[in-house]
Amino acid sequence: MNDGTPVRDSKQRSRPLQLLMRLLPAEFRGDYGPEMEQVFAEQREEARRSGDKMGILRLWWETAKGIFTTAPSEHWSMLKQDTGFAMRMMRKNLGFTIAAIIVLGLGIGANTAIFSVVNAVLLKPLPFAHGERLLMLSQRTVPGGGGVGRSSVPELIDYRAQSRSMDGIVEYHNMQFILLGRAEPERVETGVVSWNFFDVFGVKPLVGRMFEPADEKPGAPAVLLLSYEYWLRSFGGDPTVVGKTFRMNDKPHVVIGVLPPFPQYPHANDVYMTSAACPFRSSPEMIANRKGRMLRLFGTMKPGVTPGQAQADLSTVAATMQRDFPTAYSKDDTPKMEVTPLKAELTRDAKPTMLFLLAAAGFVLLIACANVANLNLARMVRRGREMGLRAAMGASRVRLFRQLLTESFILAFGGGLLGLLLATSGLKILTTFIARFTPRANEIHIDAQVLFFTLGIAALVSILTGTAPALARRGNLAAALKEGGTQSTTGARRSRTRGALIVAQVAVSFLLLIGAGLMVRSLINLQRVDAGFRPENVLTVQMSLDFSKYMSDPSMLNFSDSLLEKVRAMPQVTSAAMSGEFPLDKSPAFNNEFLIEGRQANPNDKPTAEFNAVTPDYFRTLGIPILSGREFDGRDRPDKLRVAIVNQSVVNHYFHGQDPVGRRVSFDEGKNWTEIVGVAGDVRERELSQTPKDYVCVPYAQYPQMAPGLVALTQGDPMNIARTVVTHLYEVDPNQPAGKIQSLEQVRSESIAAPRLTANLLGLFALLALAIAAAGIGGVMALSVSQRIHEIGVRMAIGARPVEIVAMILRQGMGLALVGVLLGLAAAFALTQSVRTFLFGVTPTDPLTFVGVAAVLTVAACAACYIPARRAARIDPLRALRVE
Amino acid sequence: MSKLSDPLTPLTPAMFHVLLALAGDDLHGYAILKDVELRTDGEVKLSTGTLYGIIKRLLNDGLIIERRERPSAANDDERRRYYRLTAKGREVAAAEAERLEKVVALARSRRLLKRTQTA
Repeated sequence: MNDGTPVRDSKQRSRPLQLLMRLLPAEFRGDYGPEMEQVFAEQREEARRSGDKMGILRLWWETAKGIFTTAPSEHWSMLKQDTGFAMRMMRKNLGFTIAAIIVLGLGIGANTAIFSVVNAVLLKPLPFAHGERLLMLSQRTVPGGGGVGRSSVPELIDYRAQSRSMDGIVEYHNMQFILLGRAEPERVETGVVSWNFFDVFGVKPLVGRMFEPADEKPGAPAVLLLSYEYWLRSFGGDPTVVGKTFRMNDKPHVVIGVLPPFPQYPHANDVYMTSAACPFRSSPEMIANRKGRMLRLFGTMKPGVTPGQAQADLSTVAATMQRDFPTAYSKDDTPKMEVTPLKAELTRDAKPTMLFLLAAAGFVLLIACANVANLNLARMVRRGREMGLRAAMGASRVRLFRQLLTESFILAFGGGLLGLLLATSGLKILTTFIARFTPRANEIHIDAQVLFFTLGIAALVSILTGTAPALARRGNLAAALKEGGTQSTTGARRSRTRGALIVAQVAVSFLLLIGAGLMVRSLINLQRVDAGFRPENVLTVQMSLDFSKYMSDPSMLNFSDSLLEKVRAMPQVTSAAMSGEFPLDKSPAFNNEFLIEGRQANPNDKPTAEFNAVTPDYFRTLGIPILSGREFDGRDRPDKLRVAIVNQSVVNHYFHGQDPVGRRVSFDEGKNWTEIVGVAGDVRERELSQTPKDYVCVPYAQYPQMAPGLVALTQGDPMNIARTVVTHLYEVDPNQPAGKIQSLEQVRSESIAAPRLTANLLGLFALLALAIAAAGIGGVMALSVSQRIHEIGVRMAIGARPVEIVAMILRQGMGLALVGVLLGLAAAFALTQSVRTFLFGVTPTDPLTFVGVAAVLTVAACAACYIPARRAARIDPLRALRVE
Repeated sequence: MSKLSDPLTPLTPAMFHVLLALAGDDLHGYAILKDVELRTDGEVKLSTGTLYGIIKRLLNDGLIIERRERPSAANDDERRRYYRLTAKGREVAAAEAERLEKVVALARSRRLLKRTQTA
């Protein structure tokens, strides 16, 4: 029966069977596929002959079942074999394995860390119910009015009543109030909101209850919700705080609940109250004043409504308002409502920086991959013989390819684990960093998505690093075998691939170094920029006066006079002043229009300036030069002539550079006139990177402020007197807390914390890239030297001096590095325009940076080549000649 | 080429039957299937899918080899391959048979089997 006649029909191939067999490993199919088809055909023929229809079905069933059970075990055994082999090879090349895992770990770690941030901040939906339907509503009543477009109470009522696209519109504003009833008075950031604010956001209380409609009725007992962060910080997470009563604004306030952690926007508040509890918002004048625009509005779109439709709908309401109340709106322009999806608003500041860092991390990974691919290639040279042998013994191309991929996957997986470890340990720093840009930083975690991303990256890396050597192996395997693997025909191609990979590494490192170099230069410029004031030895104290106590100008003035008297009397204090705001204090700008006497009023170009009120000595304390006229002094009291100091910018913009001292301006459309008594130097008030704005200062005594800042010029470290200043503050008013106390240098340094961190992070990435690329060049040159030992021996035997050998090796390595630098240069010119927004005081093609980076990279490459070059020069020609 | 995957692993019944089939004569795949089916009265039924997993393992372990000589062209199909039991395969199959015999003897001594049968 053994050599039985084959059935004629058996040559007919079965397509479904071939499809089924695709489940089996390709190698198995290659070995047994045709035979399996043949056997199947005979079985089918037999079943057909017997005329049993069920027989054919049974045959299909048995065959499919057999393939389904055989396929996994065949794949598994092949994987086991490949893995075992890979592990043996990796143990044998422990140096390579460790180097590759570290390099990949750094690359994958950088990407995992940045991705965990991108994922939490940009990709995930907001942690609010219906977060995608939440909008921020900015009313634009002035053409081109930037910043937050606020609305008034009557406008809020109109929007609620007339809009058809919104499900709920809620209000928000932020105040600093004083909370009494604890050991020390506390200045609390307070969010004043509609009763259903948290319902719209879908936030549920952690402890206690939420606001209810009754809490917002005029005259309702004041109630408070604590933010999670404040609850932990100030009450140690004590749930019994619910029900306790504190005094604020001369009224009892009962804590009704604690909020869960959620991204607080626009401010990280300590407590929340309803609009009924805010003395300003609930005053009858504010409720009736259509022009009293102090509210930020948020809302939920009805299901199915797009932001564009909501914007159109709300703008229609705004236009109706203008028609009905013409005096409350500008005649020349239609008010509009601008809507921004809350998610975009929450991530607006973070997005560019994060995408930039993601790109940088991606570059680091590319370099790491190129580097490991190169290491792999170098190893292939040594393994050429082994591969050739295996091919000769019948291992198919697919099988060899699979083997290489298995090895690179194990490496990538090891790198992934290391990367995950690095990312986890760096996450805390990164979270603090990102918190400067977005309230969503608390949501950053290594979660399933991040793990999946890391795994994906590892898989991608294994393909990238594993394919290069596999592709370079294309060509004649038999030739590789014959020539012993070191001088094969594929050798030339391989060394070309290696060279190309080195060039790529250098080019990408160049890009990263340029990015980092530009950032560092910007940072240095920011640190060095003349902000117009002298930050050394200045103490700053932020305060918020108790609204219920300091209701009149004289009471506020009395407070500031008493406090200044005590502070000025301190021996360490050279001068001190109060001011509505001080440079870089993060307070919102207070813009005011003004008229200039004798200047033609132009409705399209009304002079506008930032407005501040300061006591005498303010300019002296901060070292702001008075360029003309005088500083405020004791003459400038409430009942005296109204005076003002303008900055140089105002002079340039509105007085054609001529001295304005003695000219008059009006802040109330000509009803009262104020005389300009001095010109002060320009100051960067908001950000160091922003050119100074037009700025008008008035005497504090004539315009007392509810939220004054104290500034004091001291001898020695200003922080030394901080405690004494607070003591004096309590002497003046025991219920008046100090807010933030910092030296002006700290304030200044904090104002550039974000660019500093960006520069640091990018610098770290660039250094990583540089180190990896340098190691890559060194490694490739070392390999090249070991391959050329014989040739070098010959050269030395015929009289080449060691210096010449060093020069020869350096030339080879530096040639690659220089090509890389040139390519990087071209790419940098093309790409750096995209970083323009991150830069300050330096152009994207800053020659100094470019030259500096090129020099650093060249030196690093040179140093990396020098080590193998020196080794080459020390080769003993006699021994080298014996090397075959 | 490769060593015995694990000499201590007992043969699966299907593998043993393939060895038994080849103990008589050199056979090609289809013939092995038929032989096993006939000898076991259809109790052990191998399919194409399972058979070649077994053949691969037996080849790897050196229990069988592929026969070089082929039948005359008229009786041949180039896709067929013929397998032959090696000395080692014979040894392993014999060892397995002995093991089974011992098991049977044990069962008999415990009176699990009624009457003696000649092998």
